[in-house]
Amino acid sequence: MSVAVIPNTEENVLQDPLRFERRVPPCAIVIFGASGDLSKRKLLPSLYRLFFERRISTEFAVIGSSRTPMSDDQFRERMKESVSKFLEDAPFDEDVWKSFAQCLFYVPGDLGNAESYDRIRQKLDEVEKSHQTAGNVVFYLSTQPSYYAEAIQALGEHGLTKGNGWRRVIIEKPFGHDLESARKLNIEIHKVLDESAVYRIDHYLGKETVQNILAFRFGNGIFEPLWNRRYISFIQITAAESIGVEGRGGYYQEAGALRDMIQNHLSQVMATVAMEPPSVFDADNVRDERAKLLRSVRVMKPEDVSKYAVAGQYGPAKVGGQDLPGFLQEPSVSPEAQTDTYAAVTFFIDNWRWAGVPIYIRSGKRMPKRVTDIAIQFHAPPLGLFTQETKSGPREARPNLLVLRIQPEEGISLRFLSKSPGSGMRVRPVSMDFNYGSSFGERSPTAYETLLLDAMNGDPTLYTRQDMVEASWQIVQPILDVWAHTKFDFPNYPAGSWGPKASDEMLARQGHVWRVP
Amino acid sequence: MSSAPIYPAQPENILKGLGKLWTSLGQEESHQGKPTVIRACAMTLIVATDETDCGFAASQMISELMREHPSRGIVLAVDKSAEDRLQARVLAQCWKPFGKAQQICCEQIEILSSPDNWPNVGPTLVGLTVADLPVIFWCRHKGALDVSATRDQNAGLEVILDLSSKVIIDTEGEDAASSFALISRLRQQGRIVADLEWARLTFWREAFAQIFDNRARTNKFSNFHTIEIVHTGDKVTPGASYAAGWFASVSRANITLRRTDGFGPGLHAIRMLSEGETITFERTGPECARLSTTTGRERSYSYAEPGLYPLLHQELTILGADRAFDAAFSRAGEFVR
Repeated sequence: MSVAVIPNTEENVLQDPLRFERRVPPCAIVIFGASGDLSKRKLLPSLYRLFFERRISTEFAVIGSSRTPMSDDQFRERMKESVSKFLEDAPFDEDVWKSFAQCLFYVPGDLGNAESYDRIRQKLDEVEKSHQTAGNVVFYLSTQPSYYAEAIQALGEHGLTKGNGWRRVIIEKPFGHDLESARKLNIEIHKVLDESAVYRIDHYLGKETVQNILAFRFGNGIFEPLWNRRYISFIQITAAESIGVEGRGGYYQEAGALRDMIQNHLSQVMATVAMEPPSVFDADNVRDERAKLLRSVRVMKPEDVSKYAVAGQYGPAKVGGQDLPGFLQEPSVSPEAQTDTYAAVTFFIDNWRWAGVPIYIRSGKRMPKRVTDIAIQFHAPPLGLFTQETKSGPREARPNLLVLRIQPEEGISLRFLSKSPGSGMRVRPVSMDFNYGSSFGERSPTAYETLLLDAMNGDPTLYTRQDMVEASWQIVQPILDVWAHTKFDFPNYPAGSWGPKASDEMLARQGHVWRVP
Repeated sequence: MSSAPIYPAQPENILKGLGKLWTSLGQEESHQGKPTVIRACAMTLIVATDETDCGFAASQMISELMREHPSRGIVLAVDKSAEDRLQARVLAQCWKPFGKAQQICCEQIEILSSPDNWPNVGPTLVGLTVADLPVIFWCRHKGALDVSATRDQNAGLEVILDLSSKVIIDTEGEDAASSFALISRLRQQGRIVADLEWARLTFWREAFAQIFDNRARTNKFSNFHTIEIVHTGDKVTPGASYAAGWFASVSRANITLRRTDGFGPGLHAIRMLSEGETITFERTGPECARLSTTTGRERSYSYAEPGLYPLLHQELTILGADRAFDAAFSRAGEFVR
């Protein structure tokens, strides 16, 4: 008979990482703005899904708070409606919901009211005992960004940032309205919280396919040697939306595409594509490399802005027989608005790896389709031996193109040339495809599931850090400054098109063209 | 089933058939000038079966598994009705992800063998595995696994085992003692063996592991002096023995097994007892389970009797050694009665 060697350790000896999903320690989540859209559409469905998959501990509680007066039961009922409606690719189970609902609580209150925080503290004390949450708390500020500093200060004043366990605060973008306000916000946050307790969520980084960029680059030996100026001609990052502002005209009018997409999501994607390999795959090392890359991006001089950045705004058009309004005709939008619903920027990274390689980023609303991808164009062979047949006759064969598709058809394609069947040496481009969905048929977690799980586990790898936020503001600030003093002749592209002509001209000056995704 | 042509089962014929199949799929499925078929393959999955359906159930399962585990599936059906020579046909299993233009296809080879020809399948299979990828063997050939297997049956089995990087069996409903003897023999030959009966325990094991994720409880794990495993059926099943073996591999508690008429088949409940707390995880209905503690925690779970699909999915995800299984297996034999 063999004798068990029982490890004398505080680790959970029943764990089996080969078969069990990663799960989180006991904790409570306090959601400020719990009756808002984000909570209903994303946060609660994600938490329920994690609970359903048994990835959330039995020692768990959610405390929702907002100005709407509600009882615990009313809050549970509302959330049940939302969860069953917005749950993505997953079943809703009545029995599991009943268990989950026992973990939901509600505290009505106003962020500006001191008593609200006292009530939340009382509730946290209660659930720490009743649900054994071990004093661990995540505060999720799903509120207007203008309340962040005030709310965090109040959390500190009411003793909520300290307790028996760890305390973390998640905030949503935008982190400031410009570089100065971002710095100011960080100063205010750090008066109360250490940077390690601040989780700035950028849901783009939580997308499986964005994370896959790291696996693709650093898990394979064959791509990294080519990942530099010697082999890569340019990079295009496209984030196009087919929809307009969808009732968010008031907010969007103040934000614009450059602030709403490029300053945060797309600059982080650029950093992920172009960063140096970290020495260790952990939060600090990965984020250090991202931050270093962002600090290497050349900051434009005001006189260069018109050369390297293009603003656009969609005008009305008829698409598929339907009349689409221009931005200026959208509800809550001033008819004089100078908002960029499209922005395209050429960035240069001043380091040895990328010197001279333009990185084109564009993002726009009311484009022909919803697509986000990264196209890496390699140099043509030094000597063009083959021509390619095109409609307009033979032309020099197209160079290799690697496309990392973020959405909607997540995957990777490599375009290369192949001999056309038959006699003669004619070549044509063919594509080698990896389709994320087909290779891994299982359901991918949503970005919010991934990010909430990471925050509860204390893994900030996919969250943005203060220096990353400031570095990304740094690179767009000169553009914002120049555009703020420019009178644009908007609209300059019709809804349903790929953007203004000036954007094509920006690339043409470098001898390049936008690809059609 | 497909009306695909039948070949004499020689590797060259079969591979040629596969080549033709892909060419015709590519031609048929052209859409706006672009090829719309993707061929996916991450392993060779061999299924040998002596069931009377000529491999139908096995083929269905491979087709379901292809979404998560695209493979070259080889179904080797041994049936008395088969002709003297080995016969094969090739087909593609395809699916189209919702809203996507491209079809994802996996290739499948069906080989029909008479019992007499079973020892001769080796040379055919050797030429059919996909190079550089793992070969997984799911053995549903009960006759070949049985202690009373004939020499010929053993010879056929050995050839496939030698090709395989992992063999999957299922001891559900089998006698625990002889099942464990078979697994021991295979393991002694240096093979990686997986038992779907072990995979059935994941739901139970995960629930207990989760309880002890709480640091306050982790520290008290050694305080649990008794672990009671309650099973249905008259005999201790391999699953109940694995559960006992697993706890024995990580705890010094006294482990007892007890039968009941509760929900089954297999495990009905697991109870951990200490001076201060009792934790019970039990089936409370055909589709639900409940975790409760005497300290007031309670949680319901949706419970579905695990079908073959999720069990195989688990095993196809683990291609190397499984330390938890190894440790549990090394103790499970102590609980066989």
